[in-house]
Amino acid sequence: MTDPRALWAAVARASVNWKLLLPLLAGIEAVNRFAPASTSTLLTEVAILALFAASLNLLMSFGHMVSFGHAAYFGLGAYGFTLAVVRAGLPPEAALVVGPLVAALGGLIFGALCVRLTEIYFAMLTLACAQITYTVLFQWYDVTGGDTGITGFMTPRLGLSEAGYASVALWTVALALLALWAIVKSPLGLMIRAVGQDRARAEALGLGARKVQLTAFVIASFFAGIAGTLYAVLHGAVFPDYAGLGLTLDALIMVVLGGLNSFAGGVWGAVIYQLLSSVVPKFIHEWELVLGFVLLAICLMMPRGFVGLLHRLGLNRKGDK
Amino acid sequence: MLEIRNLHAAYGKAEVLNGVDISAAPGEVVCLIGRNGVGKSSTMKSIVRDQIAVTGGEILFEGSPLTGLRPHEVIRRGVGYVPEDRRVFASLSVLENLRVPRPVAAQDRRRWSVDEVFALFPQLHDYRHRKAGVMSGGEQQMLSIARALLTCPKLLLLDEPHEGLAPKIAEEVVDAILALKREGVSMIVSEQALNTIRRCADRVHVIDRGATVWAGTVDGFYADPEITRKYLMVQ
Repeated sequence: MTDPRALWAAVARASVNWKLLLPLLAGIEAVNRFAPASTSTLLTEVAILALFAASLNLLMSFGHMVSFGHAAYFGLGAYGFTLAVVRAGLPPEAALVVGPLVAALGGLIFGALCVRLTEIYFAMLTLACAQITYTVLFQWYDVTGGDTGITGFMTPRLGLSEAGYASVALWTVALALLALWAIVKSPLGLMIRAVGQDRARAEALGLGARKVQLTAFVIASFFAGIAGTLYAVLHGAVFPDYAGLGLTLDALIMVVLGGLNSFAGGVWGAVIYQLLSSVVPKFIHEWELVLGFVLLAICLMMPRGFVGLLHRLGLNRKGDK
Repeated sequence: MLEIRNLHAAYGKAEVLNGVDISAAPGEVVCLIGRNGVGKSSTMKSIVRDQIAVTGGEILFEGSPLTGLRPHEVIRRGVGYVPEDRRVFASLSVLENLRVPRPVAAQDRRRWSVDEVFALFPQLHDYRHRKAGVMSGGEQQMLSIARALLTCPKLLLLDEPHEGLAPKIAEEVVDAILALKREGVSMIVSEQALNTIRRCADRVHVIDRGATVWAGTVDGFYADPEITRKYLMVQ
């Protein structure tokens, strides 16, 4: 689909604002080092969910494919890692690569079915595939532990401290986001955007639309799998809910909250959503009610989400993709 | 190069073509003419399988049938397509639009580069970082033709390339078609402007009510005013 030299050229060409990004990462790292353990754990979760939302955003904002089942690949990543440790007996460090690969394989199989249809029918197929995944994880007690999941199979965070693991997660997510950014800016990224905007026209330019969409689906699943693996390591446990509809809805909300049609939208959405869900419940019991009003306000008044707001305030020169 | 015999095609259950016959030889410019809604665009869409079902007849390209191929496979065989509504990727820049087509590496193809299409359409070079969606209709038409050239076509289908363009811009598009003709690019152009037909075409096919009703040389077309009166003028 795209050769490694072209991908590397895209990485080199990608307009990353290093002067902003590196101090930002260093700042987060500093906060992580001096903050209490609970803050480090929150940082870790924010980073992981930012990657998960960014992977969904690749499908939604660039491929114009709305997935109602993206958590399936988060769950497959988490379970792929866990089962590699528990059933195959791999050391956890080696099993880290298994999770994302299992998620990508799941994306390849389910994606091949889903990209045969478009729009709402595509979305419903993604939902169906996710429900199948969830049900298998929930019911297959002998392998997946069923509804009680798999716990106690390893020391959480690979034995690292909260701050130490937060650093690992932060830098892993940063690298993964850079890779996703390079893909968006690569010739493959252009193909994904072209097919997303006008499938028939892209085919009339010689692109195999299904192949391009399937490639995007597998890439998004792979990165969701990295997020799922990091999450399983964080808690040293996996549960079927990791592949549940709830997590998919969370990611959809993050993408809309942060801003559709923007690479940064998913990342910003995850940060805002996690902070809101950590802080608001301390003051208001019905936090979902607040979330509902926030979403109403965003959809009606800021359809381009938080990134659109930054753009409107002149704080983000490139508010769109 | 292209041979269409007794083509039938339909949108759903509505049959729109019921006997189109067209041929185009290498290096030739063939104009499809007829009133609005008679099946010119549908004929082009049938060739590239653009959201229309071919229900009968044959489409042979270089002796091989195109029947059963998906749209991108037809394009990779060497058929370039510029649709009537241009359909540029609005949120991509001009340069990004030009990087989308997938060129086919084949020795018997003229391989176009981005620089070459910029030489053909200098305005595109000036606006290369501009979003395609904010360009004028004429500029979008040039972009659409340039983008189709980058698929390295042996045969280019141009559907109503002057539709909705100001006369001056339309003239620039005609100049581009003539430049492509000099390059030896075979073209089928759906056209209503008689002046353009006289300047560009080698042969003419007249389509009426979904079928080919006349075919011949440009001179033959102009020698018989009855054809224009019967098939082009508003009754």
